[in-house]
Amino acid sequence: MKKFLLLAGMVGLFLGVQVNAAAQAKKPTIMVVPSDAWCNQNGYMLEYDNQGRKDKVPDYYRALQENTDLLLVISKINELMAERGFPLKNLESAMKTLRQEAAEDALAASSSGESVAESPIDKLKKTAKADIWMQLTWTVNVQGPKRSITFNLQGLDAYTDKQIAGASGTGAQSFASETAVLLEEAVLAHIDNFNVKLQGHFEDMFTNGREVILRIKRWNSMDGDLDTEFGDMTLGEIIDGWVNENTVNHRYSQTDASENMMLFEQVRIPLFDANQKALDTKAWARQLQKMLKEKYQIESKLGMKGLGQAVITVGEK
Amino acid sequence: MKNFFLLFLGLCLSVSAFSQAKKKADKQTEAWRYEIEVLSTGAQGTYQIKVWSYSKKASVASEQSKKNAVHGIIFKGFVGKQGVPGARPLADSPNLENEKADFFEPFFEDGGKYMKFVSMTTDGAIGAGDVQKVGKEYKVGVVVNVNVAELRKDLEAAGIIKKLGAGF
Repeated sequence: MKKFLLLAGMVGLFLGVQVNAAAQAKKPTIMVVPSDAWCNQNGYMLEYDNQGRKDKVPDYYRALQENTDLLLVISKINELMAERGFPLKNLESAMKTLRQEAAEDALAASSSGESVAESPIDKLKKTAKADIWMQLTWTVNVQGPKRSITFNLQGLDAYTDKQIAGASGTGAQSFASETAVLLEEAVLAHIDNFNVKLQGHFEDMFTNGREVILRIKRWNSMDGDLDTEFGDMTLGEIIDGWVNENTVNHRYSQTDASENMMLFEQVRIPLFDANQKALDTKAWARQLQKMLKEKYQIESKLGMKGLGQAVITVGEK
Repeated sequence: MKNFFLLFLGLCLSVSAFSQAKKKADKQTEAWRYEIEVLSTGAQGTYQIKVWSYSKKASVASEQSKKNAVHGIIFKGFVGKQGVPGARPLADSPNLENEKADFFEPFFEDGGKYMKFVSMTTDGAIGAGDVQKVGKEYKVGVVVNVNVAELRKDLEAAGIIKKLGAGF
């Protein structure tokens, strides 16, 4: 009897672990970054030549090295989020890892003297990544001897570029407080409201699925286009039908379509596949790619733009 | 003997009147009859608020303020003022108090767990102008600190409210 109970307990524990492991969706990574506006106002921008046009991008590395107020705000937000059981990815560490990786790749060589393969697209994509950006901006307002801070914290979904949370406002005026103290007060004042909205976003995600974008393109070399008929349906209709079947409550919008391209926006993909395995945008789009190859012998190339935009180019790999 | 009996009777009546006032104050808490005014964001993880409570006895209203403060942070939230943002309630739904009555009844009883998350500033001393006579009752404003970070953790651990990112 004792052995039976022990065995039953172990089986129960095993099943519990299985169910629990299956029920875990991929936890979004969140990172705090200063906004472009803040970097520009404070002179932390890098200028580069973009095909003859001068463009500016924020220089996070220099901002983190030179601005201690920024470090303080990021550290405070990281601390408060960790307290809520949601530790964040640290921008400074992510930047250091990228630099380290670049240095290692530059020096790495195989036994036959070959270097690490990297396409121009890979180089372009080498930036710090997160599922959600907490973008912060602040300005110090001075009115005679009185100072106050206007603080703006935006939660941006990297998948859709939508603002999914936010908290902003101007703190009380102070005669004596230093900027660092005012900033700390601002973070404490706004973080709870920000988290309420962030939680709302997570709950929406669990109910209605993750919102992503799917883009279909055609290689010039393809024999036919998206209007080519397979049986009684065009290739475009087949793809549209698959998206309709594989979205939560069939929620998506086909915002643009021609014989050469299709654009699906506000596509709500499930958080788990049929085997209860966590699903991300690439894995979801890969299912469409497989279906096209297995049922219609159509080769395609699957690429990602950011974390939430899948691009399938049909015709060849 | 007669004096002793009168004294005893007077004491019983006074305890009974106080107890009645306490019960009435509890009912008013349940009926959301209190007001919350934010003063400052306070130290990390706390809200400093002024709670206005009603009772026929000023002392009962003052004591009830602690209960009202925690009740308000969980179910009511507060509006902001110049320089200090408002806050939403910790509970997702205002019906949560009824839905989880098994948890909240002992939590809010006299000397209940709610006491762990609230402290009075200035030892409960009430400022001038913070005791107002409204009709037959007193409206008393007391400044309290609510440890919202610990309160939230406790409610999350008990499964009353969801953790941030629950399900991941």
